[in-house]
Amino acid sequence: MDLNRINARLAPRSCWQAVDFGTRLYRRWWRQGALVWLVFTALPFALLAGYGAATRSVWPMLVFWWLKPLWERPLLAFYSRALFGDYPSPWTLLRTFRSYGVNGLAGQLTWRRLSPMRGFLTGVWQLEGSKGDKASGRLSVLLRPPSQRAGTLTLTVLTLEHLMTVALVVLAITLVPWQFNLEFSVWFQEQSRLQWAFANLAWYLVLMVTEPLYVATSFALYLNQRTWLEGWDLQLGLTRIGERRRRAGRGGAALLVLLALFSAAPHPAEAQAGQPESRLKRDAAQSLLPPVESGRSDFSRDNGATESASTDKDAPKQQALDLLASDTFMPFEERQDRRLRESLRDDDNDSWWRDLLKKLLERDRDNSDRDDPLSIPDTVVEGMGYLLLLVLLGVILALILQRLPGGLARRRRGPEMPVNVAGLDTRADSLPADLNQALDDELARGDIRAALALLLRDGLITLFQRHPTPLTAGATEQDCLRAYRRLLGDAPVVAWLADLIDAWTRTAWAHRPSDREWVRALRDRWGELRPALTGRAPS
Amino acid sequence: MTPRTIEEAAELANRIETQLNQVLIGQPAVTRQVMLALITGGHVLIEGVPGLGKTLLARSLARVLELDFQRIQFTPDLMPSDVTGHVLFDSQTGDFRVRKGPAFTNLLLADEINRAPAKTQAALLEVMQERQITIEGETFELDPPFVVLATQNPLDQEGTYPLPEAELDRFLFKILIDYPELEDETRMVEMVLDGSLPDSLDAEQLTPVTNAEGILALAHQAEAVILDRAIIDYILRLVRATREHPSLIQGGGPRASIALARTAKTQALLAGRDFVIPDDIKQVAPPVLRHRLRLGVDADIEGQTVESVLEQLLEQVEAPRQ
Repeated sequence: MDLNRINARLAPRSCWQAVDFGTRLYRRWWRQGALVWLVFTALPFALLAGYGAATRSVWPMLVFWWLKPLWERPLLAFYSRALFGDYPSPWTLLRTFRSYGVNGLAGQLTWRRLSPMRGFLTGVWQLEGSKGDKASGRLSVLLRPPSQRAGTLTLTVLTLEHLMTVALVVLAITLVPWQFNLEFSVWFQEQSRLQWAFANLAWYLVLMVTEPLYVATSFALYLNQRTWLEGWDLQLGLTRIGERRRRAGRGGAALLVLLALFSAAPHPAEAQAGQPESRLKRDAAQSLLPPVESGRSDFSRDNGATESASTDKDAPKQQALDLLASDTFMPFEERQDRRLRESLRDDDNDSWWRDLLKKLLERDRDNSDRDDPLSIPDTVVEGMGYLLLLVLLGVILALILQRLPGGLARRRRGPEMPVNVAGLDTRADSLPADLNQALDDELARGDIRAALALLLRDGLITLFQRHPTPLTAGATEQDCLRAYRRLLGDAPVVAWLADLIDAWTRTAWAHRPSDREWVRALRDRWGELRPALTGRAPS
Repeated sequence: MTPRTIEEAAELANRIETQLNQVLIGQPAVTRQVMLALITGGHVLIEGVPGLGKTLLARSLARVLELDFQRIQFTPDLMPSDVTGHVLFDSQTGDFRVRKGPAFTNLLLADEINRAPAKTQAALLEVMQERQITIEGETFELDPPFVVLATQNPLDQEGTYPLPEAELDRFLFKILIDYPELEDETRMVEMVLDGSLPDSLDAEQLTPVTNAEGILALAHQAEAVILDRAIIDYILRLVRATREHPSLIQGGGPRASIALARTAKTQALLAGRDFVIPDDIKQVAPPVLRHRLRLGVDADIEGQTVESVLEQLLEQVEAPRQ
């Protein structure tokens, strides 16, 4: 495997970019991927599905599902070679299966079967040929940060697989003529053989799409992780520069610079520590080392030549730097970080709150205006900041409490006396100053209704002030009586209120005014009861 | 017994209710509301799951009041003539003869009224409104009192024909009948087991208390109950508030106001008063208004119900001023 023949640009990518790269691999060779899948799985699937349909048992399909790591091996073999310009036919893959498909398979089909990292880690056994402790070391290296999201990828493809299967089944059922009796509503209650076979076929067809996709994207993640850890992109770049320099017959000084730069490359040594003699790496090394060695020999030669040709010294260095800085060589991810402090500093359109914020943020660093007699002292600014924060928190807390059922504020306030109860004005200041006199006046005029209304208003207001109870504007006389009966039981004041309300309703609603003496008796009883509630008799 | 005074009327109503409550255990509010409707001369729509004694109530009422009783089970194939009657050709006499339908009665139980198609429902509702039946051009007046007790099941709505709002408005009351309380249900089971309550729809054990004449006398007395102008204002404010409430897309109409006023008078009579107080309105407002109001979609999504809106209105609308 020659890295120089790679069909894609190697670069350290984010995990999602790597997955995207994997989908491009799949899309580029989807026909070949599907063919490989069919060649390796069609017969086993047909046998297992046929047996499952005949015996109406689930386990043959379960076996097929369990053997997924086995079916994925040829696909990985295909993609790993196709990426480097080698396109093995399905028959070649079938013939050479033992060389790539056996190592680590037992583990993957047993205790590692349910690992969500399955696709990502298959390369360790299949491509690197690692075994035992070496394989464990490689796994631990590959699973180091940066995050590779292999588990998320597995779950995503698994979800996609199920959704596509269900969608395919539903779509087909809607199109199948009714004579086939494929009724979706009874799908889970009663399944005919046809339904059984149909569901299995739908799943297999979906796997023909999702399995190559899963293998390609997992392989892309694997490649990306190795690129991050081992600096493959740098190695490739160095190789190309070396070749170019060798072809040009010069460049020792440039290589010196490149080697110096390479010494700062991300963790090649770290990756090498757990590096087995993998096929991939070995192939890569075989393709890499000769140019590097030749480059070094070129470098030796050029080093000697430098003394005699000092005028050419900077040209190769500049050439190498240009190559490293070119868009096609290294990172294609650009990040722009603008911090609040910098944006504030850059902003000319200042306002008072920006000034305050700026002062708060730059309090520790910017002491230039401390000597300015008109400047705001830091402690004041800091105090204002905290005050602002406290007010903000207080407002948020108050809003939360208000929205709680039976909020704090409302609980504390207690019930409020409505302005009107039972059609009567129940504002305390609406009562006459001398209630007894006003009552006598009404009785003297023969207005029993007005006299009773006065007495009832005073009674309700006094009772409410002493014993607040929730009353609404719609509360009637009987509602008031019921409320105070609940609150005070059979207290004398409740009995008095009942008599008063009885007299009032007869007067008001039956148009039968109570006897004048009865009203006076009610007033006298109230005169005895009121001091207990207010501490004073009606004036 | 024909009552002559308010006290006698209240006493009579009380005796009727006592009789009914003997068989319909744990539903005193339902029997009171049915009594109110009967005396007011209005029809009742009873909503409740099967098995709560709706048919028993109707049978018992007919027995206690010595009224004629008929029951129609509404089904999708029920025809209007199955309700009102039709003309037959009598081959012996060679003449056409009117065969009166079950609607010719005092107390008609229309079981599961929403199971019949709109045409049949309309035939019954027409009878309810006009209290007369026309068959082949001949009009027959129904003997008073004529009260329809229609039932519908709130749960099993499949294959039903919901009553349109205009037709619902013809019902004086919509009564919700719910499961009895634990204590009442225990008592009911014990009574059935010891034989003091028949485990059937048999109402023969009940003693007749009055007859159609007595009911008409009660209705006459209810009409004489004093209704103050301020309370009429209160009724109107309440009904008009249902039209303006943001949660309701349909409020009560003038028929609702009239129904409230008339029912409140009967309520006062049954309470032994010859005058209406605001509490009478508040008590009869839910059964009078609930089927005339329609909740908006937003309010429905917010979890409000017609009952909760009514409760809100009764709290918010100011009690009448004197």
